Amino acid sequence: MESFALQVFSPLMALHIFMRISYIVIILLFSSALSITQTISPTEYQVKAAFLYNFAKFVEWSPETFSDTTTPIVIGILGEDPFEADLDTIVKDKNINGREFVVRRFQALKELEQCHILFISSSEQKDMPKILRRLRNSGMLTVSEVEHFAHIGGMINLVVEENKVRFEINVEAAEREGLKISSQLLKLARIVSEKENN
Amino acid sequence: MSHSFNILKLLIAAIVLPVLCGSQLQAQIRDLTKLSLEELMNITVTSVSKRKEKLSEATAAVYVITQEDIKRSGLTNMPDLLRMVPGMQVAHIDANKWSISSRGFNSRFSNKLLVLIDGRSVYTPLFSGVHWDVQDLRLEDIERIEVIRGPGATLWGANAVNGVINVMTVSAINSHSGEVTAGGGSEDRAFGSIRYNGTVSNKGYYRIYAKGFKRDDAVTPSGDRASDRWNMYRGGIRSDWELTDGDMLTVQGDLYKGNLHQTVTIPTISSPYRQTSMNDVKVAGGNILARWNRSLSKGSELLLQIYFDHTYRHDIFHKEFRNTADLEFQHSFLLGSHHEIIWGLGYRLTADDITKSATVSFNPHKRTDNLFSGFFQDQISMLNHTLFLTLGSKLEHNDYTQFEVQPNVRLLWMPHNRHRIWAAVSRAVRTPSRSEDDVQVHVATLPPDTMVPLPTVITIFGNRDFSSENLIAYELGHRYQPVNRMGLDIAIFYNVYTDLRTVEPSGTPYMVTTPSPHIIIPRRFENRMDGKTYGAEFTSSWHPFDDWKLNTGYTWFKARLSLQSSSQDAGSVNAEGDSPQHQFHVRSYLNVLHNVEFDAAVYYVDRIANQHIPSYFRLDGRLGWHISEALQVSVVVQNILDAQHPEFASTPLSELASEIQRSAYGKATWKF
Repeated sequence: MESFALQVFSPLMALHIFMRISYIVIILLFSSALSITQTISPTEYQVKAAFLYNFAKFVEWSPETFSDTTTPIVIGILGEDPFEADLDTIVKDKNINGREFVVRRFQALKELEQCHILFISSSEQKDMPKILRRLRNSGMLTVSEVEHFAHIGGMINLVVEENKVRFEINVEAAEREGLKISSQLLKLARIVSEKENN
Repeated sequence: MSHSFNILKLLIAAIVLPVLCGSQLQAQIRDLTKLSLEELMNITVTSVSKRKEKLSEATAAVYVITQEDIKRSGLTNMPDLLRMVPGMQVAHIDANKWSISSRGFNSRFSNKLLVLIDGRSVYTPLFSGVHWDVQDLRLEDIERIEVIRGPGATLWGANAVNGVINVMTVSAINSHSGEVTAGGGSEDRAFGSIRYNGTVSNKGYYRIYAKGFKRDDAVTPSGDRASDRWNMYRGGIRSDWELTDGDMLTVQGDLYKGNLHQTVTIPTISSPYRQTSMNDVKVAGGNILARWNRSLSKGSELLLQIYFDHTYRHDIFHKEFRNTADLEFQHSFLLGSHHEIIWGLGYRLTADDITKSATVSFNPHKRTDNLFSGFFQDQISMLNHTLFLTLGSKLEHNDYTQFEVQPNVRLLWMPHNRHRIWAAVSRAVRTPSRSEDDVQVHVATLPPDTMVPLPTVITIFGNRDFSSENLIAYELGHRYQPVNRMGLDIAIFYNVYTDLRTVEPSGTPYMVTTPSPHIIIPRRFENRMDGKTYGAEFTSSWHPFDDWKLNTGYTWFKARLSLQSSSQDAGSVNAEGDSPQHQFHVRSYLNVLHNVEFDAAVYYVDRIANQHIPSYFRLDGRLGWHISEALQVSVVVQNILDAQHPEFASTPLSELASEIQRSAYGKATWKF
């Protein structure tokens, strides 16, 4: 009765099949390594990097923050960089209205220089109120990914919910710095304000 | 032999090749800038950073088995999954039983481990252990298995002496598609499952599942068919409700039924004085659980959980019905900016009815026990949130030993973003089981001889004065992230046990006339052994390229047991040789093409000295192919390196050990 199943799936047979397939896999791997392009699901920070790119597209800075029409958009990262090379890859060779991108990294607040978008790493979480105070009147779009960031005066907070990236926007904080956020961005955001938190 | 050699070569090739051509293999990021914001928001991302952070900040030796680990291991049952966890010993006894423990004391009836499935305790008070053969789920529905080695007694309570295993299923909110799986092979003869998801008016989400499998007999050491086949059916439902913005309600339940075949030898009082038979173990059970979570203001959370659990188990030794009801309440909140407080109360009632056999009986045969517990823990943040001191204790009252106090002190230091150093001292107890209190079991019969003309039966009696086994554990750990794509974790421990269980002579032998005249040599359980165990556990996870992940683990373990001077137990100290001294594993997950996965895992387990079980290597391989978004097929080969090998010896009065065979199966998964 079970001999049929055994013949079809005897361990030795299965082993042979597995080895054959394995060889094919190895050969495939070796010969096509150069041409493989992958479309696996992106990591959290690849998606977040793409969000930063989109923020540049849907936020309007006051004209004086750019010295001329080709001045690049500077994205700064304050603190430990969670993007590794992904942010650089995403914005490489991209331009928005003729402006290219520059990514700059700052280890500490005292090193910080003028940017258009500043991503504040979760490594700086405990200094967040202090950082946000320092950034008043700097005209930068502040982005982070720590709880309550937008409630305490940050502008855009990226949050992962059910493995998907969502964002919160504090409109007043952006307006205080003279930034205009497009309605296309606002309609997809969760709008928060500082009052809720007090 | 030549096969295993070829396969080793292959494995090496599989691991080395991607390194050689790694730069080309590294995935080119799909140009995400071409996607609209809406599309971006719909992408499922591969890591959940919040949880990871929480884990890296745990002040204990924690290991998490993820959904990816489960899928890519190709393993088909929960016990085998635990082989990935450093510090754990997992050994196959026969085709349907395992011997599982954390940090030593491994046996068929391991009793120092607490196992929870979605917050429901599944260890049985019968022997303070776990019937692993009935702990199962659709493995695809498991979100993660968190394993804490070492005492978890402060939060979880008695029995969390050497570890806590926490199995969590995916919330119904997050299970999106329906799914059907089916497969079969040489050992896992046939298996299949179905899951269906639905919503109720956008507030409630549910999933229903059913699964069944049929596992083949393993083999005896001589290569003959053992008699330990196994089949099991189960089904259940989980529903999650968003009642209000901060209120979540989960209601879930499962039902199962199964049949396990086994071969056992029992002592008898008539010639030939022992009898080996093949028989069935019938198991069935069900549970229902409701959990209500309420998020109050910042960092404050309430949890209320109630469950009811019923189990039935009927084998040659006894027939047991058990009902358990459990109620738990927890509250966590922030006090100022430096205190994170969690406290809780719990009550559990367990009632059983055990029908005796000629070999095993319980006196009384029905018993109801109550357990009251409360705990308090404060995590104090110091030095600008880089040093955390955790103080806490559990206080419980049980019907066996009355009050038990289980305190701990833990310290976590984060000198740098990439370093976490922790230390802990804790006390835990293993409270007596129903068996240790009330059992009467005939363990062996000595045939009559010229000196004693009657058969002599050695019988162990429960001891109502049996007290808890105690542990003081000292632990130290370091988690280090040398680069973003690599994590290292090392934990060392020194455990001091007192009052471990022994079996001692109990009074003078006496004669019994029914059913036929025989002499009884009485023995009973006492707490007359002490012990020390120590060891180190290391894990690394490395993600060199988007398409390749490599996990390794190494465990070193030593035990020294010593009898107290009053003890006359000859055998219990041998348990120090029941755990392997070295274990290691390497697991590789490789995306060969965007839709083809090639995974391999090798496990090494050192010899088990006390049982004459030689060391062994286990090699598993898996090939998975995503034919389309909806359809996936995989082929898995397990225990490739030898035709069969033993992993654990038989325990007296339980099933005869068999050997695990090389096996293969194929599986198809269809999402709808």
